[in-house]
Amino acid sequence: MWEVIKANQRKSWVLFSLMGTVLILLGFVIGASVSPEGGLIGLIIALAIWIIMSFVSYFSGDSIMLRMSGAQLVNHNVHPQLFNIVEEMKIASGMKHMPKVYIIPQEAPNAFATGIHQDQCAVAVTAGLLSRLNRDELQGVIAHEMSHIMNRDVLFMSFAGTLLGSIAIISQVFLRGTYYSSFSSRRYRSSSRNNQGDGVMLIIALAVAILAPVLTQLLYFAISRKREYLADASAVRLTRYPQGLASALEKISSSKLDLTTATKITAPLYIANPLKQKGKKLSDLTSTHPPISERVKILRGMQQGVNLNDYQVSFNKVKGQPELLIPATALKDKDPLSLRQGSSKKKGPISPTQQAREIGDLIRRVNDFLFISCACGLTIKLPANYNRSQVQCPRCQKKYHVQKE
Amino acid sequence: MDCPVCSNEPMIVLEYNNIEIDFCQSCQGIWLDQGELELLLGSAGDSDKITKMLKEKVTVHEKPRRCPICLKKMRKIELGDQRPVMIDQCRQKHGLWFDRGELKDILEQLQSQNDDAVLKFLRDIFTNST
Repeated sequence: MWEVIKANQRKSWVLFSLMGTVLILLGFVIGASVSPEGGLIGLIIALAIWIIMSFVSYFSGDSIMLRMSGAQLVNHNVHPQLFNIVEEMKIASGMKHMPKVYIIPQEAPNAFATGIHQDQCAVAVTAGLLSRLNRDELQGVIAHEMSHIMNRDVLFMSFAGTLLGSIAIISQVFLRGTYYSSFSSRRYRSSSRNNQGDGVMLIIALAVAILAPVLTQLLYFAISRKREYLADASAVRLTRYPQGLASALEKISSSKLDLTTATKITAPLYIANPLKQKGKKLSDLTSTHPPISERVKILRGMQQGVNLNDYQVSFNKVKGQPELLIPATALKDKDPLSLRQGSSKKKGPISPTQQAREIGDLIRRVNDFLFISCACGLTIKLPANYNRSQVQCPRCQKKYHVQKE
Repeated sequence: MDCPVCSNEPMIVLEYNNIEIDFCQSCQGIWLDQGELELLLGSAGDSDKITKMLKEKVTVHEKPRRCPICLKKMRKIELGDQRPVMIDQCRQKHGLWFDRGELKDILEQLQSQNDDAVLKFLRDIFTNST
């Protein structure tokens, strides 16, 4: 496992410095286009913007991400099975800290993990995911998320995300600035002195400003895709049951629902791309996640064992051409890990009514609703802000005392 | 979710036989979520039936109410042929609001034609209460 983390860090640094070079270049060219000596100042400003953003994301990135997604911290009673699985995977992965568990009150099935600091890591799943998956499938998803935390993917992705954000902001400001000032400044400049050099510099700066965000976004997405495969591979190693994650991914991809709280920047953090409608058929370069059908095929192809090596073999078979996904040193690790049988019963097709009911109830439980089952068969669900001391069943007139913790 | 009529009155949720409604205890009004309505009608097998019976009313004397979900003004629509009942529908299709007794009125009109689970549930609940 450690080789994977190490290799990840090394590869991350390469891509990271590549993105950083783009940022520095952007700052320098913009500065130089304003005045011949401005290159260095532009460079410093660009770096300053990025450093500030990195600080913000390092110290509060987790909470920003959780708040943006609308996730709510839950306790054991809301979903005991979920807690049970998270605990199990924490032990299996040898993590020191128990991640916090969040539920996103939404119907679209999806999940993500945060954990810039290992001791404050968290996994978040949507209500729709919990109602659709059985235990084995849920275990696969949780293992995938915990692998992201273990492989330090979150830390890296949030830094790369802020880098991408800084580049986007700088080039936007520059492009808009030149657009609006182009009419007024030309008049003064052309009469002052010959500044052909400035003109050339300006054109270069414009080109860089247009290209930089696109380029870094592609880099960002490329990193994100690799990490998904790796997290899948580690998840299988943890659960020893590739079929669980495979069928979970199938269920997630079969849903047509969009996660309303996800954005372009946060999308790579989820287990499957939460924005399905937009850019569905765009080229592979611009997608944040590898195609699910491919991930499922690789997982289903793992018939011999559940080592990282087995994943790599299956990966090569599906992809056609060998591409080293996992460092060679880690592949030598030949722990005799065998597949296990699925343990949970197949979650049979339940009616859409029942499913909507389950999701609704889970969301209410997350929001601290009080559930009262009346003897007459009616269930009364009281919101957290219910302010009376008792409630009467409208059907059989029985009165219930409302107790709030 | 607060009642669209009574201010600051949280509605309670009632579930019976897999059917769910939001109910205000002060004014006895009923809110049906859009998804809810579809599920209810879908289970009865004729989801278009009631939707087709809805007609928009142009001249209205009743005060407009706000949708408890999006808080935007709802439109008034009429339901039923012989004795039309005016109810509120969210323009963004979040759901329907029935003032006290309105749902019962509609049920009485539909009673002769239809006897599905929805009506049975609502009759069960509201024939007892006054």
